[in-house]
Amino acid sequence: MLHSKIAISALLGGLSLAICQWLVFAWAPEEKVMGLVQKIFYMHLPLAWWGLVSFATACAASLLCLIRHDRKYDLFSASAVETGMLFCTLTLVTGSIWGRHSWGVWWTWDPRLTTALILWFIYAGCMALRSIPMPEHRKASLCSVVTIVGFLDVPLVFLSARLWRSIHPSVFAANGGGLDMQMAVTAIACVAAFFFIWLSLLLIRYRQLLLSARLDSIIFEQLFKAEQEPAPKTKKLYASE
Amino acid sequence: MLTAAIAICKKDLLMVFTHGAGLAQALLLGLLLVFLFSLSLNAGDRLSPQAAAAMFWLASAFCQVLVFNMLYAAEEAEKARLGLLMLPAPVQSVWLGKAAAGMVILAAAQCVFIPAVFVFLGQKMGEFWTLSLAGILIGDLGMAASGSLLGALSVGQSGRESLLSIVLFPLLTPLLLSVVKLASFGLEADPMLENALRWIGLAVAFDSIFLGAGLVLFPFVYNGED
Amino acid sequence: MAAQQPLLEFQDVAKTYGQRIIFRHVNAALFSGSITLLAGDNGSGKSTLMRLAAGLTSPDMGRVSRRVPLARTGYMAHATFLYPGLEARENLLFWAKASGIAEPAKKVTEVLEITGLSRSAFEKAGVFSRGMAQRLNLARLLLSDPLLILLDEPATGLDVSSRTMLEEVVCSARKRGAAVLWISHNIKEDSRHADRLLVLNSHTLGEEELPSC
Repeated sequence: MLHSKIAISALLGGLSLAICQWLVFAWAPEEKVMGLVQKIFYMHLPLAWWGLVSFATACAASLLCLIRHDRKYDLFSASAVETGMLFCTLTLVTGSIWGRHSWGVWWTWDPRLTTALILWFIYAGCMALRSIPMPEHRKASLCSVVTIVGFLDVPLVFLSARLWRSIHPSVFAANGGGLDMQMAVTAIACVAAFFFIWLSLLLIRYRQLLLSARLDSIIFEQLFKAEQEPAPKTKKLYASE
Repeated sequence: MLTAAIAICKKDLLMVFTHGAGLAQALLLGLLLVFLFSLSLNAGDRLSPQAAAAMFWLASAFCQVLVFNMLYAAEEAEKARLGLLMLPAPVQSVWLGKAAAGMVILAAAQCVFIPAVFVFLGQKMGEFWTLSLAGILIGDLGMAASGSLLGALSVGQSGRESLLSIVLFPLLTPLLLSVVKLASFGLEADPMLENALRWIGLAVAFDSIFLGAGLVLFPFVYNGED
Repeated sequence: MAAQQPLLEFQDVAKTYGQRIIFRHVNAALFSGSITLLAGDNGSGKSTLMRLAAGLTSPDMGRVSRRVPLARTGYMAHATFLYPGLEARENLLFWAKASGIAEPAKKVTEVLEITGLSRSAFEKAGVFSRGMAQRLNLARLLLSDPLLILLDEPATGLDVSSRTMLEEVVCSARKRGAAVLWISHNIKEDSRHADRLLVLNSHTLGEEELPSC
């Protein structure tokens, strides 16, 4: 089931990404001021988008995990956090390159960049927590709590960073001064393509974790059986002689 | 719920203040941080109010981590946690009691940090010190609510101080930004106050989110499962 | 007896740890005024059953019904639930106040008297010997006049006089109408006072006859 879903999503992702490459490099016009470097935007935007969506998904899965006490939601949340971390890291890298080119610095205190970095820190902490050995159900509830609280914190991080100071270009600004038509279409196509990439990665990781959990339980059963075999004990343990 | 929370809070304060459990460590660490930061100054320099405010709150944040680790470690020596869980009161009373105790201890520690900031970092009190004071109150409340919720998660783990700090510090960012700004307003002679209300609003929003999250999520962090 | 409701009842309870089954199909009922011994090998899940009875963890299947309010349930484990940094009296006062007991100071003096700890009331619990600490733990248990008493190997490391005191306390609680569930490693000895013996073996709970003494 999951297997075929992954296959379809990955296929769609590959195809649409190929089309996007053509759109990005052949169809969309080159930006006058930024030049070729502006093309990085077509990666940066979808990465940032789906990174954030990934953390939102993790938060929702964690909520379900706490409500339903089902391990599989925890595994799903873990996969979403990991995928989100990947996307978030790439967002920061591409954003840094962009920033170096357009503002002359690798890093600046911009609300969106800062929010991405803080998110990265929060979920890195969450992954660190997950790597610590402790009983599964305790780990599941602890990680769920951190994932939820982390996501609740996002709007505050954004607002506070914006109040601190800001220089980010507002791309789809309401005044319409942002992108021209072809660029906008390309950007939207890239966002769509990256959806499939994101979904495939998420589901692949989820399937991996599911399989690994199943493997663990099989090993445990085997060990348990081996433990059980030697000599059935005499029935009454404490009866009087 | 309140009876149990008050009892827990009193017990923790008694343990920390009269039997001197670990408070000295938290105080010393904060003081050291403030003092060591004064090394960045050349003779006769005065640190910018914002940097001094940031140092003050950084010291408080480290203090918070140590304090809440200490408060939650108290139950682990002889598994008193199980006893707390069996009290005829909701588990949240533990969260509330520990948060209240932590807030008092943190505020007490800050009473030591404040003079240190004036002495070591060469600050002068400005006209709008009430804003800083409001910042300290709101900030301590937020730190207590979040520290009490997350302090429980590192219970029984090795390296729990570092674990708690890497989970807690990023979450604290919005609160820290707000209270650092508010504190710097109080240290500056002529601060730009136009955003002051927004900063207060942001810190209050942080407090409410973590108070709510603490009430709802605490039972998942603190339970009888080992 | 038939009309009486059990104070604690396990109905087809199962508990797993990860993928591993600790026990299943556990059925048992504890009635007022009885002492039930619980035995079983190490790792058979005795302590887990205790935690279920205390409501500290929930069963994966089945139901645990307690007809005693949590405030009147006393749980005494191998760990003493004490704060080593506080004095004996402070420890008890804390538990009394946190449980919302009326006139905590009076009650604390009373239980200190019963457990013979009056003279050590102002010593720190951290310096107590194992036996003293366990007496203090027993005092904590008595604060709430428990109707359901759960004892998880309380006698380990106790000297003769402390053991005798423990037995006296438990027997007088039975007279008052309490139900006692007692994990024991020393069945021969403890069965003098007990009414029934339950044994956890091969992942389920069975009843056995008490050894005669």
